[in-house]
Formats: sequence, C-alpha cells, structure tokens
Amino acid sequence: MYPAVIGDYVVPATVDEALKAWAGADGDAYFIAGGLSLMQAIKTRLVKPDCLIDLARVGELNGVRVDGDGVHVGPMTRYRDIAGDSQLDGAYQALRDAAARVGDRQVRNRGTIGGSLCWNFIAACMPPVVIGLGAQITLASSDGGRRSMAAEEFIQGPLETAREDNELVVAIDLPPAPSNAGSAYKKWGLVTDALPVIGVCAYVEVDGSGACTSARLAVGGLETGPRRSAAGEAALAGKSAGDADAIAAALKAAADEIDTQGDMWADSDYRKMLIGDLGREVVATAFARATA
Amino acid sequence: MNKTISLTINGEKYEESVPIRMLLVDFIRDVAGLTGTHIACTFEGVCGACTIQIDGEAIKSCLMLAVQADGRDIATVEGLAKNGELHPLQKAFNDHHALQCGFCTPGILMNVAEFLDTNPDPTEDEIRHALVGNLCRCTGYAHIIDAIKDVAAKSR
Repeated sequence: MYPAVIGDYVVPATVDEALKAWAGADGDAYFIAGGLSLMQAIKTRLVKPDCLIDLARVGELNGVRVDGDGVHVGPMTRYRDIAGDSQLDGAYQALRDAAARVGDRQVRNRGTIGGSLCWNFIAACMPPVVIGLGAQITLASSDGGRRSMAAEEFIQGPLETAREDNELVVAIDLPPAPSNAGSAYKKWGLVTDALPVIGVCAYVEVDGSGACTSARLAVGGLETGPRRSAAGEAALAGKSAGDADAIAAALKAAADEIDTQGDMWADSDYRKMLIGDLGREVVATAFARATA
Repeated sequence: MNKTISLTINGEKYEESVPIRMLLVDFIRDVAGLTGTHIACTFEGVCGACTIQIDGEAIKSCLMLAVQADGRDIATVEGLAKNGELHPLQKAFNDHHALQCGFCTPGILMNVAEFLDTNPDPTEDEIRHALVGNLCRCTGYAHIIDAIKDVAAKSR
C-alpha cells in the first residue's frame, strides 16, 4: 500500500526548531510522534501531509522527570518507558497500568503518550488516565505563544482536542505525588489488550485512618469523549477500602450519571455494567496503593 | 519528495534516495531485496508480519517511513542466523513445529527475540501477552508458545 504523497520531511532537534519548521512549511504540515495513528491516516489518505515534522529526535520532549514541582512526563515518552517507570508507582501508577496494555509490544516500542493525547481516539487509554490524574497540559505555538490547561479542558470529543494545528504539546505535568495517594486504570476490550470498549481510571487520597479525602474517577470509551464522574467522586468521599457496598454504590452512581452509547462492540447497558465492574476493581487497587 | 537516507540492515550499509512516502517495509523488501519481512494486513498494523528490529527494538515496519529509519540500525529475519547457525528461536520453532504456512513466522521471531532479551524467563501469560501483536492463523499459537518456553528453559 502506498501512503499519500508526502511533500517534505524534517527532523528538528528542539521544540523551537519544530515550531519554526511548522511556520516555514508550505501547505499542511503535521507533527508526527510515534506515528502509529497518523501513519494509518496517511495510508488511507485521510491525511495528505505537505510536510511531516518528525519529533523523534526532540530530546527535551522525551522522558519522565520528578522534581520538587511534581512529575513531568515528556509528551514523546513511549508507552514502553512509562510502563517500566517505577517513579510513577503509587499516586500515578495508573499511567503504568494503561501504558503496559496499550496495543502490543511493537506499538509500545514506538507509541507515545503525547501522540495518543493529541489524536484522542475514542478507544484510547491515555486520555481518561490524564483526566483521572488531574494532569496539566502545556502547548507551545509557532507564533511564540504558550498556554497551559487542565487535561479535562485539553481532551474533548473523540479526535478533538484544544490543540491548534500550529501548537505542540510540550509538557504533561502532574502535581508532586502525595504519599497517601494511589491510582489505577483498567480497560475491557473484546480480546486481550484490545482497544477499550470502556476504560476506567481511579485516583484516591486517604487520611491516616484510610478514609478517602479526595477522589477522581474518569471513564474512556465514550462517544462524547472521556469524562469524570462528579457523582461517583462525591460518593467515594469518606469511604475506606473495606466499605465494599458504599464503593459499589459510588460506581453505580457513576454509571447512572454517564451517558453510554451502544454500538457493534457493546450496548449501552453493558458499558454501564463495565463502568461498575472495572470501577470497583480500580478503586480497590487505588486504595491499596494509597495505603501501601 | 525524495530524501537520501543511510542505514544499516543486518550489518550491511545502504545509502539510497527514496520517496518520502516509501514505507520502511517496502524499502526492506524492494530496495534491499530482503523479502523475509512480510506484508499481510498492509494498512492497520495489526498483523505483525512486518515486524523487524530497529536499534534492537521490535516495531512494525509498515507503520514507519523509510526516511524515519535514517541513521538507524535495522535487523530483519535474514540476520537472525549467525555463521550458518540458526538462532535458538529458529531452532526451537523447527523442533516444536511452531509454524505451518510460515507467513507470520519472521515477524514473530523478530518480536520474540527482543522479548526474550528483555525477559529471559517469562511465564506463559507473559509469553501470550508478548504475542498480542502477531497474528498466526495456522497454529493456534500452542506450538509457538512451546517453542518460546523451550528457548527460555535452555537459556537458564
């Protein structure tokens, strides 16, 4: 199969060079990260790039860094590297859960978190995880501008984000990880490691007695885009890992609150059941990690 | 529309002017003439038959452009056997009848060779998980898993 004709191909070494390349390109220029989704689109000719700007050698966008300001996940960090990074354990372990089960080994060897967030496929794992963990996304623009926003604001409906064509995601930041916090993510698909029909991310902070002081619950696989459940989060407040009935009720509240679609993979009620089942499991894991 | 790239495949250097849209798998097969790397799904990147290693890591060469491999070191199934000796994985596939038509085999070998480098003593679950990106429609995977277990056991 021949991909669409590609007019030009450049390999910048820095964010500045990448943005300048975008500004200087004739016609439609696209940034390419791991390229797994974009190459499919170029092969089907949904996308016909006049210029591809390959971010593979922009070192400043790659890698996970932990410092006093928090945890900084470079957008070009590959699933493989996120899945293997024990610095994320505890509060941000949901990132590892998700990255370890995206696609297959070959995909994880190339695919990046930033690419996944910018593509925002309906059945992607990273979008609900960054929403569930409360990440902050920073964009740099070819006109020199820079802006940051909550992941919830960045991620919109399927295949839509707040990013403009001339913007590049340059940072995915999380606040300093509290030691009394834990997170987890789990998806369900039709076969092993398949694209998620539903994926659920839970994040909890607990007090000295193990009771939840703050919770975040995010769900992906929805036709309206990944979202949090305020009802589910509110119902988890004050609950402990042992409060099985209350946790189940919180997940029921989340499933009731969220509109789910029916399609060839699962009907709407089945998706609600998955939110409950996966949700109970990830909440339990998040509690265990918060108190570990 | 064309770019000149230089890369190595199985230790041999190639320097060629290629169209930017040329897929890496087409470079390997049509320019380098190494047809052991196969093409099956051709588009979605779900079959894994085109799996090769780039700088030692398994990837699908149909989801990458040849220009993206500029300066990199590629290994294909033709490079697995050394000095006329089959790679232990190739030997084990033979011993355990882990292939029937053999179309998917090169991709599986290139993926699993790297998998065993990173995880020399895997559980059966880990082996099955590692094979998610390679479709085989003949074997039902059972003999493939036996062969991989055998290689792991012998390397202990």
